[in-house]
Amino acid sequence: MKKLVLLAVLLVVSIMSWAVNIVFWTAPNPQQEEFWKPLVEQWNKEHPDVQIEWKTIPAAGSSEEAILTAIAAGEAPDICTNIFSGFAAQLIEEGVLVAFDKEFGKDFWDLVKAREMESVIEGWAFKGHHYVIPIYANPMLMWWRKDVLQKLGFNEPPRTYSEIYELAKKYAVPKEKYAMIVLKGRNWWDRWFDFITFYYAASNGKPYIDVEKGEAVFNNEYGKKVAEFIYTMFKNEWTAVDWGQEFALNNLKALGSLMGPWSLNWAKENYPDVYNNLWLSPPPVPDDYPEDASIKTFADTKGLVMFESCKYKKEAFEFIKWVFSNPQNDVRWIEMTKMPPARADLGTNPLFSKFMEEDPYFAAYAGQVGNAVPPALITNTIDVQEAMTTFLTEPLMYLKSTPEQALSKAVKEINNLLW
Amino acid sequence: MTKPNKLKFKEALIGWQFSGIYLIYAAIFWGYPFVWLLILAFSRWKFFGKPKPAGFDNFIRLFQDPIFWRIFWNTINFMVYFIPMVVLGSFLFALALSKIKYFRTFFTLSFLVANVSSGVAYSILFSNLFSETGPVNSFLYKVFGFTIPWFSDPQLALLSIAIIVTWKFIGYYGLILFAGIQAIPKSLYEAAELDGASKWIQFWKITVPLVNPALTTVLVFAINLTFGIFTEPYMITGGGPMRRTLTFLLHIYTTAFQRMNPSYAAALAIITGALSYGCVILVRKLVEREVNLI
Repeated sequence: MKKLVLLAVLLVVSIMSWAVNIVFWTAPNPQQEEFWKPLVEQWNKEHPDVQIEWKTIPAAGSSEEAILTAIAAGEAPDICTNIFSGFAAQLIEEGVLVAFDKEFGKDFWDLVKAREMESVIEGWAFKGHHYVIPIYANPMLMWWRKDVLQKLGFNEPPRTYSEIYELAKKYAVPKEKYAMIVLKGRNWWDRWFDFITFYYAASNGKPYIDVEKGEAVFNNEYGKKVAEFIYTMFKNEWTAVDWGQEFALNNLKALGSLMGPWSLNWAKENYPDVYNNLWLSPPPVPDDYPEDASIKTFADTKGLVMFESCKYKKEAFEFIKWVFSNPQNDVRWIEMTKMPPARADLGTNPLFSKFMEEDPYFAAYAGQVGNAVPPALITNTIDVQEAMTTFLTEPLMYLKSTPEQALSKAVKEINNLLW
Repeated sequence: MTKPNKLKFKEALIGWQFSGIYLIYAAIFWGYPFVWLLILAFSRWKFFGKPKPAGFDNFIRLFQDPIFWRIFWNTINFMVYFIPMVVLGSFLFALALSKIKYFRTFFTLSFLVANVSSGVAYSILFSNLFSETGPVNSFLYKVFGFTIPWFSDPQLALLSIAIIVTWKFIGYYGLILFAGIQAIPKSLYEAAELDGASKWIQFWKITVPLVNPALTTVLVFAINLTFGIFTEPYMITGGGPMRRTLTFLLHIYTTAFQRMNPSYAAALAIITGALSYGCVILVRKLVEREVNLI
């Protein structure tokens, strides 16, 4: 009897040690967890020889921090989601990421084709290679309080800076209520969601940093218009420097703000009044922006990477392919997260038409994926955007310097960093 | 001859057993990180592979870094606000505590509550209360027609944070000073009274000199604290406006984990430690006096 038990134990252990084990980390976000859980379970049931060990990125200040400490401790995952472009660039520079196109060749391009990612993936090329599979692309849009705007006589959301000034003159009362949230905060990533978004809109998607030459280029007519807009809003007290913890669109301290689609479910749960009274529109543009032209915006996009330390690259890629070549999974992704998958056929594929018709908010975001420009692929995103905060947006919000001075100072400081 | 030797050995063994636990603990949680810190500070390493020796590069870069000097002046500025405030505040608290007869525990505990509260929790509370659009400013504007940019004016933000930290530590430092005051023999005051010294003179000639050990302790704590501020600026101002509330710890943290430069952060940490140690030595030289209470 004893021998039999020992034999059985040995057998189990040896089978388990034979099975390929792939460590897979995803974003610590309840909606995304709900998406991954059944998928991983299904894969593990169907592939007893390749087991996915799925975990959310451990709790830390940020996912980047958790991943870095894991790498330092030799505990890096094999594949990981929730990687933003700048972090990917840092990891690529250090040579720890697998270039999918080099490693898997045709298999990779087949997947790109199957998921309709040909156009989306262009923005993710780093020195001619592809290290990241984009999962979703979140365009930034303006949320406006429809009910209040209608009361003020607006039949549609303000489109240009002047229209916002007009709204401000009607609504804003200093220290009490303001027209819109112009700047989002002082974290480095906030610049994506204010200045860079405004700049993309004003310039029709022109880069703010010339990555090839390594220099900041936003000190041009578009940058000036955006800086002038921000300055005007603060100077007239049509916007505030901070808003407290409550969402300003709820207590009506502000009527509009740039928001990403990830806030939709959050607003639905916490601020139903806001959620039920929204107009979504592209970011504001300068007055002389062509009437009929489409307006570009910023894309907050996250992707999946594979680490060089992964022992079973082929098997891991099989799993990636299994997930992303099936459009049904992207259907479930939308259901769970309300974030547009990074694919170009959202408007044309009948699988997604359900969401486009049923949920006007999702449709508004999904419709902008084509207009959404990802951030500059540079390795020192944090330093650059911290400098943007200190030398551009803060001087403007505290009225410490003129828009021209702030712009040229910021560009100079950023060029020092890039150089 | 052998017996005492055996006894000695036994005693030594017991001693090692007691201290061994601490020594192992210190080696793992203090010694190992410290050695690693030194290695990092003199090398170039970005979380991957082996650290490459870099000599004094990190330190040289540090002194040319404008952000480092910004933080240096921020820290000095913070001390100028914080130390007088907290020393005066806790001294008054300690004096008041030694004068009252009833509810002493209640008052002590009330002040200590601030000290044991979660930094994150009260930071959120303060940032809400004092935000540009928060209740305090709304009230000020309605009644007096002006607002105070607590956290949004570059100079005021630092003072606001100093006030919060003072609020947090008055109870704790006050208690240390209170213990110091209690230790002064009552007979000294009685003798002074007989000699016709006024309360004012008694305070300056007896209380202040004899509370010196407690005062030095408080000053040393306060200086160490100044170099270790993190939660409040991290939660409330994020180091802004215009980097005026950026602190050493905040910068070390973002440099190591966001900018991916742990070796530069290690150099920064060593310099921060040296600066704070230097300040402590300076204060002890200037303030500490030998006091004998018989």
